[in-house]
Amino acid sequence: MKRMVSRPIYFISSVLTMAFCYVFFFTFFNEGQPNKMPIGIVDLDNSALSRQFVRNLETTQQAQIVMYPGSHKEAREEMQEGNIYAFVEIKHNFASDAISNRRPSITFYINDSYLIAGSLLLKDITYMSAATSIGMQRKVLRAKGMDESRIMGIIQPVVLNTHLIGNAWANYGTYLLNVILPGILQLMVLLMTIFSIGVELKERTSREWMATANNSMFAAVTGKLLPFTVVFTALGIICNMLLYKYMHYPMNSSIGWMYLTTFMFVVASQAIGVLLIGITPVLRDAVTLGGVFGMLGVTFAGSTFPIEQMPRGVRIFSDFFPIHHYFNIYVNQALNGVAISNSLISFLFLLSFIILPFFVYNRLKKAAINQNFPIK
Amino acid sequence: MSVKQQNTSIFKTLISVISDTLLVVKHEFKTMFKDRGVVIMFVLAPLAYPILYCSLYLNETLTDVPIAAVDCSRSQESREFLRHLDGTQNVKITSHFSTLSEAKQAFDNKLVHGVIYIPNDFSKKLNTGEQANISIYCDISSFMYYRIINQASNNCVIDMNKQVQVKRLNAIGITGESAQIISNPIPFDGQILFNEGAGFASFLLPAILMLIIQQTLFLGIGIIAGTSRGENKFHVLVNSTVHRGRTIRVVIGKSICYLLMYGAWSFFILGVIPRAFNLPHIGLPLDIIKFMIPYLLAVVFFSMTVSVFLPHRETGMVVFLFFSLILLFLSGVSWPQSNINWFWRTFAWIFPSTCGVQGYIKINTMGADLHRVTFEYVSLWIQTALYFATTCWAYRWQIKKSSKKQLLLEEISELDNNL
Repeated sequence: MKRMVSRPIYFISSVLTMAFCYVFFFTFFNEGQPNKMPIGIVDLDNSALSRQFVRNLETTQQAQIVMYPGSHKEAREEMQEGNIYAFVEIKHNFASDAISNRRPSITFYINDSYLIAGSLLLKDITYMSAATSIGMQRKVLRAKGMDESRIMGIIQPVVLNTHLIGNAWANYGTYLLNVILPGILQLMVLLMTIFSIGVELKERTSREWMATANNSMFAAVTGKLLPFTVVFTALGIICNMLLYKYMHYPMNSSIGWMYLTTFMFVVASQAIGVLLIGITPVLRDAVTLGGVFGMLGVTFAGSTFPIEQMPRGVRIFSDFFPIHHYFNIYVNQALNGVAISNSLISFLFLLSFIILPFFVYNRLKKAAINQNFPIK
Repeated sequence: MSVKQQNTSIFKTLISVISDTLLVVKHEFKTMFKDRGVVIMFVLAPLAYPILYCSLYLNETLTDVPIAAVDCSRSQESREFLRHLDGTQNVKITSHFSTLSEAKQAFDNKLVHGVIYIPNDFSKKLNTGEQANISIYCDISSFMYYRIINQASNNCVIDMNKQVQVKRLNAIGITGESAQIISNPIPFDGQILFNEGAGFASFLLPAILMLIIQQTLFLGIGIIAGTSRGENKFHVLVNSTVHRGRTIRVVIGKSICYLLMYGAWSFFILGVIPRAFNLPHIGLPLDIIKFMIPYLLAVVFFSMTVSVFLPHRETGMVVFLFFSLILLFLSGVSWPQSNINWFWRTFAWIFPSTCGVQGYIKINTMGADLHRVTFEYVSLWIQTALYFATTCWAYRWQIKKSSKKQLLLEEISELDNNL
């Protein structure tokens, strides 16, 4: 049972992997939001007015003008090469048309092959174009001698205020890290659980393993997995601390709930691991299954693309993934800070995973004693 | 030595090289299909994964996201606005409440993903020429909710603004063309290129498809190497009875075998799947094929190099599977490449997938010519050369180790016999 220490792969996998992931993701997303993304300007007018517009664009948070291509074609090619994510085209006679009320237009092109960069730039460039338009309007209305207090009512009769529930600033890291890191944790728990039991079967040492536990499967499995529970829960709690204390991601209720959830999440994942190695007591197959399950978990958590918008047939599967319930609790407790009773059902789901190993109890025990499954 | 003799000897060497290589190919194919784990990685995974992911992300954008309306104005204008919003494809007003706290309750119970609030002075302000307010509250558990709800309400507000503007201008005696001009002096127009519907699948899946090719190939080669290491009695990678010690023949033979497999899979994953699931595919097939050659070569040699250091067949899976996620981010598709810091950008270059994903998206999604992706294309060839060299070096080292052990063993048995 104390085999954990003897094989370096156990410790390398658990601790180093998670440590690497923490370092990677926190340094990777340290900006929070991608700022100053490269865009281009095709300024065919090159007048004082168009340059004013360009200067306005420079002040936006997300865009940075890195080039001035000479034509639409050139700009499009730069976009295809990935050097810019968007470009704005200002036509000839922009300024003179504006002055003589001929309504010159601004056209901008956004590359949505990179959806995140594209959406953020669309928002910023639209905002700046509207602001330029509003500036024009104000000038005209002032010229017409309109009262300053009434100008805004004409320029912008309805103002839209957007509030983000739970997170004052739309930080991209918040969306991702709260799912990716638990996702990787779930994957590692699964693989480690399967590996630690499967290796006993593969190397035909399972009889000794059972003997140490007085031939009680329950004791054998519990004894084997308990150290992992401790290690992974600790890793998960470190993750929680990094997210909510160090990065100050939204935490609108007690962080204790997240610690509890993390613990239950680790145990639930272990239960799935035991189930899988029980179904196929062949290390290789079970590891593959665990890998598939773990990778799908990230998708099925429901953060990148909401579950309820997936095809009906696959929606039901999300309940089989502990991370889905973890994510629900995270949204309820950390993000929205609602009453804990709203998360009760998710906690129950997490708890119910524990019964899974009992379905394969006998099968696994037989496999351990008879050693009748192929080793490779 | 006559020229003729020389020629025959070159010919003979050539024959032996080819037959050796073919022998390796045959042997490798045999081991591949005998091993269930390898079959899963090389056959089942590349078949099932693309279909699975494509069906999960079948819906490109969100439709009819449920939101709640709190209409304190209860006026004709506010009802008009809500009707307009409800009519958009993206959101659907599923419930009406009279206070924000009631709406919050519905939100907490996850019945709605956003709340739209119209204050009671809305209609009054509109009619007296003041600025009126509308507030939206968005669920940000997913980036998609926020984007969709914000966009839909923003568009409705812009439309309403235009109408109200013209009305107000009319009221102060500015009519017709000049009202139009004042209400919109500089029309702007945002065009979305390459992924016109701003679809999630069209954005993410091309990257995932390229990664599936690399990762299944990598893990499969890892299993093969780990197994031959585990099973071979000398605990080495290369079975010396089949391979007669010529490293390059072994390396080329094995890689031919992988390339044949994955040439076919690339056709399926990049040729059939995007058409079947209506993902972007505007690239020239010939350019994609030309681009895939160095990609597959680089992946094969990269995997073979790393596989030498895997002690057991399952190790690769356990240690490197999570890396798929990291590679996805390193490829610079979701988080823009321009915003990755230099350290991780350099680190990302080690893996063929980074250039592979970028190049594929540029050719396939944006319709770039091959010479527009010169950086990625040349990088992949450099990686191919580099990893070919490292593979040969690693294999030679393994082969030497194995033959040394064998020699030692033979000497020992001879000694035994003599005694």
